[in-house]
Amino acid sequence: MAEPLIVVSDLVKRYGADTVLDRVSVTVATGQVMVVIGPSGSGKSTLLRCLARLEQIQRGRIYIGGALASIGIEEPRSASDGAAAADLRHDVGMVFQSYNLFPHLSVLDNITLAPRRVLGMPREEANALAMDLLKRVGLEDKRDVYPARLSGGQQQRAAIARALAMQPRIMLFDEVTSALDPELVGEVLKTMRALAEQGMTMLVVTHEMGFARDVADEVIFMDKGVIVEHSSPERIFDNPAEARTRAFLERLLEREGGKRRSS
Amino acid sequence: MIKLDSIFGYLPDYLDGALLTIELGLVSTGLGIVLGLVLALARRSRLRFLNWPTYAYIEFFRTTPPLVQIVWLYYGLPLIFGFDLGAFGAAAVALGLNIAAFLAEIFRAGIAGVDRTQWQAARVLGLGYVDTLRFVILPQAVRNVLPPIGTTIIYLIKDTALASAIGTPELLRVGQLVSNETFRPAEALTVVAIAYFVLTYPVALAFTALERRLSAARG
Repeated sequence: MAEPLIVVSDLVKRYGADTVLDRVSVTVATGQVMVVIGPSGSGKSTLLRCLARLEQIQRGRIYIGGALASIGIEEPRSASDGAAAADLRHDVGMVFQSYNLFPHLSVLDNITLAPRRVLGMPREEANALAMDLLKRVGLEDKRDVYPARLSGGQQQRAAIARALAMQPRIMLFDEVTSALDPELVGEVLKTMRALAEQGMTMLVVTHEMGFARDVADEVIFMDKGVIVEHSSPERIFDNPAEARTRAFLERLLEREGGKRRSS
Repeated sequence: MIKLDSIFGYLPDYLDGALLTIELGLVSTGLGIVLGLVLALARRSRLRFLNWPTYAYIEFFRTTPPLVQIVWLYYGLPLIFGFDLGAFGAAAVALGLNIAAFLAEIFRAGIAGVDRTQWQAARVLGLGYVDTLRFVILPQAVRNVLPPIGTTIIYLIKDTALASAIGTPELLRVGQLVSNETFRPAEALTVVAIAYFVLTYPVALAFTALERRLSAARG
């Protein structure tokens, strides 16, 4: 296994008395694609949000590229922990279910805002970078369009381009196709697939089992805040070790009824 | 009979008054927008030492008459703190403090109206608090509440007339002086009313145009 890029150790996340993540530990290697599946409320999105540091964590530690990125507020601190969690944030790019593009900015400005303000990139350079990325996601003709004029699939691809503009080492995808019309899912999955092929380290929460099977290096099944099963996609889909995994997959297949096999 | 010479003979004085009204409006609007924004952000804060005094400030200035605030600042401030803002200064500051309370509530509503996920999207891109406000949140927040901001500023321009009570020679005060001299109050106040309309109506138009332009940009 390649060198670990993300190390999550004994992560505990609570909302009030509710334990959403219960001592979750997981390691993602550089270049690896890890798909997280599980029923809603299993904590899979929360895990991603913790990695993106949108959530404070109660216990445990998260290391990114060997540096401490987050530490539980209930952890006893050692002197070396103090200043660590400084400027790692743009190591991690995140794409949301609801795209969350900035509606008052054109596609181009959506992409260039963070490079210009956070990295201090000059406008021409940021524009050139944005155009490169827009080509990669197939939106080069949409640079001056406002998000409301785009289809869901186009918005999501623009959101992927926006995240990539910060040159993250890790991309987090939080159910990015769940809000899309079925016929638009494929174009977004294709973009993600290409990204995986280029060696991006990815953590993907999704209900797209076809994508998980084809693209994932490893699959995690989560339920009720714990990792129930962690295995290769073949093992998890064809011969899951845990009864809960099997029950979840069966329910999912029933609901899909074989009506759609996306991309 | 309307006596036209009681109007035209005093046009330069009215013009001076109108200019002072504009200055008063600009200074207090500027003060009100800056302070109102700071208050709105403090009011949103979870820190009680920021939140609570802001609440008290806003409610105090919303619930006392601006005329009282102007007069108090003019007469009370030198008495208690020993410094004198002058008539123009007292009026501008009082009106600015007053409009800030109203604008703070409007800004707060506007900011609350921006989806929380916009903050999160900015955050994962690495944008800091100030950049997030400036480039992501405020442009959307202001667009949401442009009509009430316009109304508040128009109210303020009209409220500058209250400065006449402490002798600031703005429009209404000029009208009063002219009418004292000519004994023609009807003519004087007609000029004053028209002048206020000429000053405020373009502001109303500007806000409508701005609103239209911004909603067009949303696509």
